[in-house]
Amino acid sequence: MVEEDLKDFKLKPMKCELNFLNKSDGSAILAQGETVVLVSVNGPLDIKSTSQNMEKATLEVIFSSKGGKPTVSDRFKENVIRQTCETAIFGCLYPRTGITITIQELEDYGGLLPTTINCTCLALLNSGLAMRHVVAAVGCALDEAGNLIIDPTNDQIQTATATMYFVFDSREKNLVTGFSTGTFGEGVYDEALERCRAASDLVFNFYRDIVASYCNVIG
Amino acid sequence: MKVKVGDVVLPGDYCDEIASVGAKSKVLIGPGLKKEIDHVFVTKAGVLKKRNPSTFWVDSYQKRYIPCRGENAIGIVHQKAGDIYRVDIGGSCTASLSYLSFEGATKKNRPEVQIGDVIYAKILVASKDMEPELVCVDSHGKKGCLGVLSDGFVFKCSLNLIRKILSPSCPLLDSLKNEWPFELAAGMNGRIWIKANTLRETIAVGNAILGAEYLSDDEIKTMCNNIASILTGHIS
Repeated sequence: MVEEDLKDFKLKPMKCELNFLNKSDGSAILAQGETVVLVSVNGPLDIKSTSQNMEKATLEVIFSSKGGKPTVSDRFKENVIRQTCETAIFGCLYPRTGITITIQELEDYGGLLPTTINCTCLALLNSGLAMRHVVAAVGCALDEAGNLIIDPTNDQIQTATATMYFVFDSREKNLVTGFSTGTFGEGVYDEALERCRAASDLVFNFYRDIVASYCNVIG
Repeated sequence: MKVKVGDVVLPGDYCDEIASVGAKSKVLIGPGLKKEIDHVFVTKAGVLKKRNPSTFWVDSYQKRYIPCRGENAIGIVHQKAGDIYRVDIGGSCTASLSYLSFEGATKKNRPEVQIGDVIYAKILVASKDMEPELVCVDSHGKKGCLGVLSDGFVFKCSLNLIRKILSPSCPLLDSLKNEWPFELAAGMNGRIWIKANTLRETIAVGNAILGAEYLSDDEIKTMCNNIASILTGHIS
């Protein structure tokens, strides 16, 4: 069933530019639909000895919202992104160093968190840091009639009874991160997970296309 | 995902060819590849390359330098600490350079190196757990082309550009050296030092190098000709 759905299924149009900022070590700007995020990655850098980790790199994520004032929900996003990136980056290759990820929200028309995670992943690819796998985030919403909508638009999110976001790795398509709002049953969650897992292929293919287009220029 | 040599690869991909070559002989895996229990996995985004018989690496884009043994780097002296200099080479921590590792240096005869000097040195020790160590002599105790770089102009660029201009197949330096005289030192850490007779010529070399990053070989040749004709036009 999932396979059939996917044949003519499309995510919101994604547009991306790598190396958008010329001073940072890696950067990417990504638009998924109308949501736009800019991410810059710097590192491995020297950091103060109190925050150094002898085993692996210390990850610091700074999320700047459009308004500029940091809020509690920004802290939550920073935490989600930091933990997702920690699984993806080979931190053990850069012990006692710091990696700073700075995220600037430019436009938010629904699905900000998945866009941010995908953009962060692209910026990490551009920075040349060693990674275990790439990650892809896909969101879905449950509308009042009980239908699942993959990659919902802003209106659909506003009227939805529940939203679920999943992050998958590229090796085995295992779930890396999952977060949800609203109420839903266990069966719905499992179905959403499987459909998002299938949809994550589109994001991985998009990564490959982007990297391929930049390799032709640089290589 | 399974990939072949020459493909565009992403972190988490693996290549069966490496394993099959590895079954017969020793395999050298370069940057961007890492051996785990069952497979050799890709860790960087780029193009998987192979040199016969058994060397594999990933050609990727990078700006931040990770020190690597045996590479030449351009650094700036930050601090004199006892019998070592601390040199910034753009990595995550400063590198150390002993004052004895210059040609003809003894405990009494110290080399003349000031804070702020630009140094072209070879990386002797590079490990993720230790700070890198530099030397300004080769294994025969001769300085060769290493040492303090006086005058000139230093600028930064991506690590790919350094590899590109140093590759024997790149026509950039060959075309430029016929047009006007200049000196150039390229550090693998993404820094280039140039020195020409006049300021205008120095800037022309710098612009030619930075402009070559996204050009093909033929385009580089035309660009060098253009720059040379502009330069001579203004001087005369």
